[in-house]
Amino acid sequence: MYGAAAAFGGMALASCSGAPFGSLRSTVHFWNLFGGGDGARLSDMESNFVDSNPNLELESTTLTWGAPYYTKLSMSTVGGRPPEVAVLHQTRLGAYAPAGLLEPLDPDMLSDYDIGPDKYLPAVLESAKYQGEIFTVPLDTHPQVMFYNTDICKKAGLLEKNGDLKPIRGADGVIDAFKKAKEVTGEQGVAFAPLDGAVPWRLFYTLYGQLGGEVLSPDAKEVVLDQEKAEQAVDFLVELTVGEELTAPTQDYAAAVAQFQSGNAGFHWNGEWEVTTFADAGMPFSIVPFPSIFGNNTVQADRHTFVIPRGVAKDSRKMDAALTFISSMMKNSLIWAEGGHIPAYLPILESQKYKDLTPQSNYAGVADDVILDPNAWFSGSGSDMETQAAVPLQQAMAGAVDPKQAVDDMRASMQELVDTPSPL
Amino acid sequence: MAAGTQSAPERSKVAGTGMRDRIMGWLAFAVLLLAAIVWLIPLAWTVDTALKVESETTTVPVTWIPPSGFTLESFGEILAGGNMLRWYFNSFLTSSIITLAVVLLASLAAFGFSRIAFRGRTFLFFVIIAGLIIPPQILIVPLFTEMNALGLVDTYWGIILPQIAAPIAVFIFKQFFDGIPHELEDAARVDGASRLRVYWQIWMPLSRPAIAAVAIFIFVLSWKNFLWPFIVVTNTDMMTIPVGIATVQSSYGVRYADIMASAVLAGLPLIIVFLFFQRQIVQGIANTGLKS
Amino acid sequence: MAVRAETAQAAGKKETARGRTDLAGYLFVAPFLIAYVAFLIFPVLLGLRLSFYNSSLVSGDAQFLGLANYKELFGDPDFWLSLWHTVLFTLLSTPPLVILSLVLALLANRAIPARWFFRLSFFAPWVLPSSVIALIWVWLYQPGFGLINSYLISLGLPEVAWLAGEGVAMISVVIATVWWTLGFNFVLYLAGLQEIPQELYDASAVDGAGPLSQVRWITVPLLARTTILIVTLQIFASLNVFDQIYIMNTSGGLNYTVTRPIIQYVYEQGFTSYRVGFASAMSYVFFVLVLVVGLAQFAVANRRRGNV
Repeated sequence: MYGAAAAFGGMALASCSGAPFGSLRSTVHFWNLFGGGDGARLSDMESNFVDSNPNLELESTTLTWGAPYYTKLSMSTVGGRPPEVAVLHQTRLGAYAPAGLLEPLDPDMLSDYDIGPDKYLPAVLESAKYQGEIFTVPLDTHPQVMFYNTDICKKAGLLEKNGDLKPIRGADGVIDAFKKAKEVTGEQGVAFAPLDGAVPWRLFYTLYGQLGGEVLSPDAKEVVLDQEKAEQAVDFLVELTVGEELTAPTQDYAAAVAQFQSGNAGFHWNGEWEVTTFADAGMPFSIVPFPSIFGNNTVQADRHTFVIPRGVAKDSRKMDAALTFISSMMKNSLIWAEGGHIPAYLPILESQKYKDLTPQSNYAGVADDVILDPNAWFSGSGSDMETQAAVPLQQAMAGAVDPKQAVDDMRASMQELVDTPSPL
Repeated sequence: MAAGTQSAPERSKVAGTGMRDRIMGWLAFAVLLLAAIVWLIPLAWTVDTALKVESETTTVPVTWIPPSGFTLESFGEILAGGNMLRWYFNSFLTSSIITLAVVLLASLAAFGFSRIAFRGRTFLFFVIIAGLIIPPQILIVPLFTEMNALGLVDTYWGIILPQIAAPIAVFIFKQFFDGIPHELEDAARVDGASRLRVYWQIWMPLSRPAIAAVAIFIFVLSWKNFLWPFIVVTNTDMMTIPVGIATVQSSYGVRYADIMASAVLAGLPLIIVFLFFQRQIVQGIANTGLKS
Repeated sequence: MAVRAETAQAAGKKETARGRTDLAGYLFVAPFLIAYVAFLIFPVLLGLRLSFYNSSLVSGDAQFLGLANYKELFGDPDFWLSLWHTVLFTLLSTPPLVILSLVLALLANRAIPARWFFRLSFFAPWVLPSSVIALIWVWLYQPGFGLINSYLISLGLPEVAWLAGEGVAMISVVIATVWWTLGFNFVLYLAGLQEIPQELYDASAVDGAGPLSQVRWITVPLLARTTILIVTLQIFASLNVFDQIYIMNTSGGLNYTVTRPIIQYVYEQGFTSYRVGFASAMSYVFFVLVLVVGLAQFAVANRRRGNV
């Protein structure tokens, strides 16, 4: 008898599709992929939101960066119970907007929450659109930069009298500087991570971009990889790892960061987001934009944006909560900028407080020179194209294949992706 | 040679009381002990790490006893985080309902197969047993499509329903029922009892060992299940424990004491079930194995 | 006349009795059967249908493709590579899981004290969920401060890149899996061993048989049925491996390119790349493979039983 009662009680509970411990306040479910230093800053921004919005509850979930996060986000939206707000890399818009997974954001509605189209640089706003409609609210631009250890560079004679880094330009100039740094450290001249799933692509795309190369046609139906320019880009990377042995070809992301942090490398190529790691470690460092190796300052970057998954707009209360949250986070994005990112929100970007942030402001101007990954359903941060390109690049940097072979392999895997029937 | 006229050396060969057998016995024990210790080390190290202060988890060389002593702070953090308790509830709710449903549905079906001579009984039983060869892993794509069409993604029923179709339970119950003598129900039927009454009032009480075996087995398996809940649930508050600890990251980066604490908390309920129901679990597996 | 009417009436009653029996039978079986058809049979059929279409996770309309998905997967190197990983995993993990568990069960079957302790030690990991296993072993395998590597270092041996190393990543998964599931086979073997009558051993001892001969000529043959069961279950489970490799891949830094199993590739194609139709086709091909392996084992087992 008790068993039957328990069974019925259980079944009743099971019919609740949501958490049985729900409250009467509106809850903002927020998904992100920020760990480490970014995660800590996010928490600060979230606290500010919670404090200034007592009528809203916040549930923030962090999932593993890359495919695990994006897979869950799409499945959740398809399943009909998505989070109210999620983070999306701008370069993934091509996989989400045409798939109908995002709510379009009306410009007037955004303006009501102080996050309207006038609050961003035109180029930034353009990238937030798909077929003329706004789908994302850009939070930041995060480019690749060059970190340098001020002590090591001083000993290597690479600093000006006022302590700034002497301009490093051109392939030879860069190699020269790294060599000098290696002489001082005795280990590596520069530390970056050939063994990572994303880093090889970011560096390749930067160098290739500096040569003016395009990867895909604008409609993403053709691979237009320029063999000569691509090989030149790969050549340079190989020169650093195998040729001049200025960096270890088999270190992963964590190891590269650790090497720079512990002073075993004079330079570090990475996204600016690691500024917190090095600042917290108390090591002597600064940041300059990624060097112009092939004649200009083009550099790979992506943008973190806020999106509202499809289905949220059906409930106006949820929509209001979502926009309130996004607005609050944007207004708090100075905290985010302290983590190294270049804020997209003009009131913050143009504020004196941001301009006073060093070394973040050293590279704020880079925002004009950034190139984002090509727009396609299979490309972008954490995408197949990025991870597949990493393999031949890794092999080339390890000296296992020659640059021509690596470029051929990259072209082949890109071609395969282009040929795959689009699931959208 | 009549029994009882064996000489002493012969007897020692037989009964294993000789010196060689004694040594072999001790050797076996020593090897087993070594193996058992090796087997226990990973669990011990996990618990040990969970009890450390975070900064002392990554010291080299490793120590079993950390300088700052042991602390429960990681457990406190994990439990205070809010997710773990909700995941406990989700796992408990879904596993309980699955277990109840499987025991009920499978025993009813097995009773039908075992005791009712209906047309098509052999065929239907074969169809059900044939399902044993279908690995659930190959169904994830169509099952998600189906559950999504039913609107059951991110719901408890979405987690529960596919796990109710457990042919192994029907098999176990039928084996057990076949071994019960017919006289019992014949007497009851003569008295005019309906089949359902026979099933409920005579059969089920008699089948306590089988029920216990199936219930515990299904409970453990459904709690352990990762793949299906992982596919059908994306919202943090709906996750079961195995999915939650594997999916949700700490926003503070990798903190090993916390991770190990969550592993301990995740495994604890099943270990407790195991300790209490060891005999039933082991016997259940053994009996099923022998009958197969 | 009357007799015929009576038999007709009796026959009629029998028919209704039979009908009532049938109905009763169906009613008892129906609840389970409904769940079974709805959540096991239907998805199998749906999967087949999806495999012929360009079905997508995010879009409603799908074009009929005929056998295009199948053609594509047979020419897809990632399909073959991930299938190979699954097969490799099965080949590497099945022997230790069968043989080691037998050896330990043989040892534990003797009249030793505290057998419960050994059963507990070996079986406890089995009750744990796969994600707990993955977390524990990722932690054990860490470079530097991971337990295994730090013990290697203290013995003066070089560190091993258990997770990242190309040559060793699959072995790391196998070790973790053996630790996790050996207890199940151990229990099965123990039960089988205890069915073997002591007299057989006694009689052979009189004839001068030593313990090793006894194992070879008495124990192993009489355990044939248990062994067949264990091998069958083991191969079946290993072919369908997903959990621990996926979790160690995504949150543990396990070398993805040398370990990704077929089920994970199916998951990625179906859910990450939205290609439901293509993933269904791959699932079907793999299902056929599992069936073939299962039937082959069944045939071998039957022949063996004929001989024994």
